[in-house]
Amino acid sequence: MDERKSDRLATLVFWIFGALTILVLGFIVVQILVRGIATAFKPSFFLGKPEAIKAGGGVLPMIISTLYLVALTMVISLPLSVGAAVYLSEFAKDGLIVKFIRFSLDSLATLPSIVFGLFGMTLFCIYLRWGYCLIAGALTLSILNLPVFLRSTEEALKLVPITYREASMSLGASRWTTTRKVVIPSAMPGIITATILPIGRIMGESAAIIYTTGLFIRNIPLSPVDTAAPLAGYIWYAQSEAMVPDYKSVVDGGAALLLVMVLVVFLLARYLGKRFQNKSHAGK
Amino acid sequence: MSKKESNGKLRQIFSASRSEFLVRIPLFLCAFLAFFSVLLIFLFILKESIPAISCLGLRNLFFSTTWRPNVSNPRAGSYGMLAFLSGTLMTTFFAMIIGAPLGIGTAIFIDQVAPPKIREITRRGIELLAGIPSVIIGWFGLTLLVPFLAHITGSSGYGIAPASLVLAIMVLPTITTLGTEGLKAVPAELKEASVAMGATRWQTIYKIIIPAAKESLIVSTILGMGRAIGETMAVQMVIGNARQLAFSPLERTSTLTSRIVTDMGEATSVFRSALYAQALALLILAMCLILLVRFVTRSREVTT
Repeated sequence: MDERKSDRLATLVFWIFGALTILVLGFIVVQILVRGIATAFKPSFFLGKPEAIKAGGGVLPMIISTLYLVALTMVISLPLSVGAAVYLSEFAKDGLIVKFIRFSLDSLATLPSIVFGLFGMTLFCIYLRWGYCLIAGALTLSILNLPVFLRSTEEALKLVPITYREASMSLGASRWTTTRKVVIPSAMPGIITATILPIGRIMGESAAIIYTTGLFIRNIPLSPVDTAAPLAGYIWYAQSEAMVPDYKSVVDGGAALLLVMVLVVFLLARYLGKRFQNKSHAGK
Repeated sequence: MSKKESNGKLRQIFSASRSEFLVRIPLFLCAFLAFFSVLLIFLFILKESIPAISCLGLRNLFFSTTWRPNVSNPRAGSYGMLAFLSGTLMTTFFAMIIGAPLGIGTAIFIDQVAPPKIREITRRGIELLAGIPSVIIGWFGLTLLVPFLAHITGSSGYGIAPASLVLAIMVLPTITTLGTEGLKAVPAELKEASVAMGATRWQTIYKIIIPAAKESLIVSTILGMGRAIGETMAVQMVIGNARQLAFSPLERTSTLTSRIVTDMGEATSVFRSALYAQALALLILAMCLILLVRFVTRSREVTT
């Protein structure tokens, strides 16, 4: 009787917790979209060049910067994290070195992104004299996201049944041949699905890139050594340091646009994840 | 092992799988990159902060609250970071007070209470919340939370309070995701046994499930703290960026991260180096958290 009551009360409290979380999310998403979506999809905004002091600037170079940065980061991260994951899950024996590597991955996952930003700036932009450029940002983000990518890849590799490996090796294939011809191909859909979600993080990252990639540009960046200004960093710049009189609408529009990009990536990851899941169930 | 034998073994390794041996090295290097990066990050941050440490001394740098940079003559300024360290710890503390119960409560909701459809929606929602860029949450805080706080308290609205609220939102996905994983790992038999004995759901949750998942709930909270300590842009947008120690939640102040971002653009020489020393402090804080996680999970074999 008393226990019943406290059980009901507890259930109610947990429902409130769950509802609160979803409400906070919904409130933020709706607020940002409602305020900015009209500006975001005005052609003069998303196809226009930014202004330094006048009102009415656009963000096309920033969108291109973001996409360019994502592509470069993926090109660098994917082979590295697949290589590292293959080593850790297929080749390495548990020992001191693996422990060191695991500890380092935990550290990379916990370090604040501003620390990565400072490191990237010091090493790439200053010591190597590259200046603010896309490739410096992409390298910084590759290190920053290494634990995320590695973990997703490792999980995809783990999903490949051990019998596949045994079958291949019993036919006389070496471990590397097995990995290359059996394990990686069958894990590939999983790897691709799992690496799409972090793209949203790369798009949204600002602290690690404002001092490596750049904050403000007027022209579309063409080569990886050009200075760029990804949208997330530009949003921050526009609200804190820019001198355009209409910075509020620029930030509103930019935030809505960035949120739409992140949502698209999120839905794509969900869609691919579901397709992949259905396929792997059908295969069993 | 005799020399002949070991030669034989070597030859065997090379002839049977020379390609494997050759491929191991690049694969190993990929994995080793993680260790190498951490080492490089530590060395670079340390190297850049040495001028400040040697010029100002540890006491003036880490244990003073006077931050009065001098842009034209950096050596004449004072660069004590204690006020910002306190800002970081205070915002993290308040964020955890709100975020940890909410995050763990949501994790329990997902794992134990919610019906399948609602569970799926909540889980996806948390995943999406984790992906919302910090500048967007910061802008949300700046345009809604700050005016709201200003309205109800009569202060400027900037300070520790909005920063903690923004951080609470941002640590929520970390705590909930890791917490849910930990709760899922509790064997179903434990729960079934408890329910079979006539225990209510609430009794089962707080007497069986929470104790069984205690370790991972603690770890999820610690990693949430890591997120709060390191968050930069969202905090920078709402904390007010004053160079003073805050005694109340509604005073403007700074955190280590927000101070770095605010000042990096104009800093040179010792001023700049003092900012690297703040990054060093952040790095040490993060390392402490990792060691804490290791300590909590020392009885278990693997963590992440």
